[in-house]
Amino acid sequence: MFVTMKPHATQAEFDAVVEKIKALGLTPHPITGTERKVVAVIGHTGGMDPDDLFGTMPGVAEALRVSQPFKLVSREVKEEDTVIDVGGVPLGGQAIVIMAGPCSVESKDQILETAHAVKAAGACFLRGGAFKPRTSPYEFQGLREDGLKLLALAREQTGLKVVTEVKDTETLDMVASYADVLQIGARNMQNYSLLEKVGALDKPVLLKRGLSATIREWLMAAEYIVSKGNAKVALCERGIRTFETATRNTLDINAIPVLKALTHLPVIVDPSHGIGLRPHVPAIARAGIAAGADGLIIEVHPHPEKALSDGHQSLTPTEFGSLMRQVCVIAGAVGRPVFEPR
Amino acid sequence: MLVVMKPHATQAQIDGVTARIRAMGFTPHAIPGSSRVAIGVTGNKAGIEVEAFADMDGVADAIRVTQPFKLVSREVKEEDTVIEVRGARLGGKAIAIMAGPCSVESEQQIVDTARAVKAAGATFLRGGAFKPRTSPYEFQGMAEEGLKLLALARKETGLPVVTEVMDVETLPMVAEYADVLQIGARNMQNYSLLKQLAGIQKPILLKRGPSATIKEWLMAAEYILAGGNYQVALCERGIRTFETMTRNTLDLNAVPVLKALTHLPVVVDPSHGIGIRAHVGAMARGAVACGADGIIVEVHPQPEKALSDGHQSLTPSQFGELVRQVAVIAGAVGRTV
Repeated sequence: MFVTMKPHATQAEFDAVVEKIKALGLTPHPITGTERKVVAVIGHTGGMDPDDLFGTMPGVAEALRVSQPFKLVSREVKEEDTVIDVGGVPLGGQAIVIMAGPCSVESKDQILETAHAVKAAGACFLRGGAFKPRTSPYEFQGLREDGLKLLALAREQTGLKVVTEVKDTETLDMVASYADVLQIGARNMQNYSLLEKVGALDKPVLLKRGLSATIREWLMAAEYIVSKGNAKVALCERGIRTFETATRNTLDINAIPVLKALTHLPVIVDPSHGIGLRPHVPAIARAGIAAGADGLIIEVHPHPEKALSDGHQSLTPTEFGSLMRQVCVIAGAVGRPVFEPR
Repeated sequence: MLVVMKPHATQAQIDGVTARIRAMGFTPHAIPGSSRVAIGVTGNKAGIEVEAFADMDGVADAIRVTQPFKLVSREVKEEDTVIEVRGARLGGKAIAIMAGPCSVESEQQIVDTARAVKAAGATFLRGGAFKPRTSPYEFQGMAEEGLKLLALARKETGLPVVTEVMDVETLPMVAEYADVLQIGARNMQNYSLLKQLAGIQKPILLKRGPSATIKEWLMAAEYILAGGNYQVALCERGIRTFETMTRNTLDLNAVPVLKALTHLPVVVDPSHGIGIRAHVGAMARGAVACGADGIIVEVHPQPEKALSDGHQSLTPSQFGELVRQVAVIAGAVGRTV
């Protein structure tokens, strides 16, 4: 259920609605970033009539049920696109943002060289993993806090915002103290304990789609974070598991227009993991932008053949520069600018 | 095996190689290229010794094809295949736009739609007369009556007709009316039908099976080429996944993968792929952005009254808007509509 206030409703009228929600034993969730004041009502509202409860209160335009099982992330509750302010860089909204960097932070030279290169090519976020959820326990697991420190150093030198993965609740505080955006990886999309903890922070979150998660399950996972109070969530499509073996995953471009209709959250696309083949990353990245994505996250490594992880799908800085030019042209064709870092 | 001729090899030298291939009990497929002719060899159970051709006049090289698919492979033919039908082109720089109703329903419906899609920029008319419906109780198509109406719509508009052939029995009849024969997703591995197509000199639009890998799909195309019909285009129309919010999952990943592996034109069907009218345009843009050579879109003058697929069919004005958007994306990737 959600209550939408009239355009010129007063703060006192809004507060009265919030108080009434509390008095009913329910939780009010004021929605920010909307033209009109909106408050979502969370809790067991079965059997209650929204119009009876709130419809006649002063300043209330309408009170409606949300037809979808996901509420706070739904466009029914908030029509305007969410724009997350990441230290001056808008994630979501009209401008397309580009996140780029290596799969893993490997060394000081590697991360600094990559950060300078992707910044020069037009990226505004630096990606890089310090805690790596690798399929095999015998493979490189990341540099941990040393990696986070190197990411912070790269940020200091380039001004790029840092996106990095947090794998568990134990390391959350540590990762959050370095990261600008916390990435929840595909394997953790339904790690509800982690989602709830991340929901309690005031830190932007990039929530990747689980390998076999439906769009609805994914939106419900986002709802976990937003319902705990953290509204700064962006979604990241990174390919789903299908029967096809010619590609690493099947990047589900279909999810982009479907999500853009269902939710106000920004939608980012990861073509590197999605298709998993270096020569085809630019083509599927173009498709992502043409279909309406709000940004891309791309694996770039100065020497992909020497990368400790995901080298086969990482672009060289030169290839990334070419991809950026192509993306700018497609963005222009769909009437959108690519955000340029200062 | 692929025998690559020297750039200025004579016809007699080419004939000499094809004669030797036949004498070995195999089938030669001469593939003209812009600078030289290559001759594909099929029908051999085991590998052929490269030396069998090395000494012949005019032969530059004899190489093994590493992929299980041979004639459809870019290893065998580097240049893109371009199919020409009644002045319309499928493959090459210009994006082909195929549009029309799921099913032919009446004279007025198909002629109105044909005129509308032509005016909006379509280069082919689609429409089914034989419909492979999931339920045996649903509208099965107008059969030959529908084919006659497609021919009438072609006469009125000049648009070449793409229509589905469902079985070997009706193949001669459908081929008599159609300009491009569509093999539907459910028939992608109907090998008896594929073999029959080989003998028909009509272009084929081979849809991907709902659970077919890219390799299986290319092998199905190989059946048609191996029989001697080289005018084949592939059509991605969505695969079966666990996702239920969309009708299928349109696999745009297949587009760049196919463009690297094969010289055949790649067409994308966003209507069946995503199956939701509101999102067909976004998927069509995505397809052209990642390199598709054409799109095939369901258009109906009154989608709410359509006998099939109304929920994913565009109105003529929505289709006009889609063509405008696709044209802009085509320009952005250096192509035309």
